[in-house]
Amino acid sequence: MTRKDSDGELGLDIRGGLDAAAPPPAAELLAKVGAMKAVRTRGRFAALVTVGVAGIIGPIALLVLMPWRRDLGALPPAWVAGAAAIWFGAFAASLVAALVPARGDVLPSAGRASGAAFAAVAALAVFTLFGSVEAPGVSPRLPPGAWPLVLSCSRCIALLLPVAVVFLVAGIVALRPVLPMGARRIGVALGAAGGAMGGFVLHWHCPLAQTAHVALGHAGGVLLAAVAGALLLPALLERGGR
Amino acid sequence: MDDEAREAAEVMTRYCAGESAAFHRLYALLAPRILAYLWGLIREKATADDLLQQTFLKVHEARSAYVRGANPIPWIYTIAHRTCLDEIRRRKRSRVRLTQDGTLAAEPAADLTGSSAENRGEPADREAANAAMAALEHLPDNQREALILTKVHGRTHAEAAMITGTTPGAIKLRAHRAYVSLRQMLASGREKKPA
Repeated sequence: MTRKDSDGELGLDIRGGLDAAAPPPAAELLAKVGAMKAVRTRGRFAALVTVGVAGIIGPIALLVLMPWRRDLGALPPAWVAGAAAIWFGAFAASLVAALVPARGDVLPSAGRASGAAFAAVAALAVFTLFGSVEAPGVSPRLPPGAWPLVLSCSRCIALLLPVAVVFLVAGIVALRPVLPMGARRIGVALGAAGGAMGGFVLHWHCPLAQTAHVALGHAGGVLLAAVAGALLLPALLERGGR
Repeated sequence: MDDEAREAAEVMTRYCAGESAAFHRLYALLAPRILAYLWGLIREKATADDLLQQTFLKVHEARSAYVRGANPIPWIYTIAHRTCLDEIRRRKRSRVRLTQDGTLAAEPAADLTGSSAENRGEPADREAANAAMAALEHLPDNQREALILTKVHGRTHAEAAMITGTTPGAIKLRAHRAYVSLRQMLASGREKKPA
């Protein structure tokens, strides 16, 4: 195979030699191939199902066992449903992008995963900053000052992050055998997905509807989870793999 | 999917079904170009040969992760890329390898394409290709990877992005920058050469 460079600009044969003779397979490899058995291959959605099922158990338990926010009945039903849809949509979009390969591919696209995660986090930030709604006289309000805000945010983040960690761990288990590249970008998406699921749970539980609390404690928690994913996955997925 | 991808998918499916002949067909189909890719990245023939074997061992062990009917070529490139990065990281940790007499181990000079010296065509072409190879050495790693994958191995921007774990836009930009740098280096080389 001898071809000129595709643009022809260099006028050089930089594409030649792709048919250079490769050494025969090593004895160890031939022995393994000789002893192999048929394996069951996976479907495109296998990792999504595995991680989704593993990750969703905790949030369902939290939704069932913990009391729902007391201002729920006083809030506009359309807003409640719309906000839930935004949180769940951010979760689903990030998780699908992190785990599902495009049709005809074996690996999820790291670029698409990080793009979806950034879009999800941005959408949640905009929504919490400009779309938070309170029920006057029913939704509790934080006392003035920074400290009550910090305390309330830390409580919500403490609930959100463990939800996200389950998705990260399950994602690592599901993706490790597939050997993808771009673990940092996939980690951002997995973290954002887990964080958004935590935010979805908080949407039903946390009665503090002030913009500062929801933006920092809920959307900020998603951002933290995404950063945690970006830091953890390269160490656990790419290095020391097979 | 093009004909090559379809054949690779069909062979990979038979390989996963336990046909050892399908493994040999897959190896014959992909080993030369994977070797050329590894050689382009690591630029040492012996190491590239070793990494090729490691790559196919990993493919063998990970074959149950293959999505039936999908194009396995970018995936196998990705495994080769990871294997090569692991080797580079390992070397960075160990820094230098010395021979028994305490000198640096000599490796044969590698070229980007994996072709041997006697297969590189006419002397003028060979000289020009050598100049391109020398210029490639001066490119940043990520630009060189992008150029090798897209211009040498004919991978699409999306496939190259998957192989290196970045976005198609980043690959396009890196390949373009590499191409511009390479052209400038070659042009300045020609100007310096006496007529």
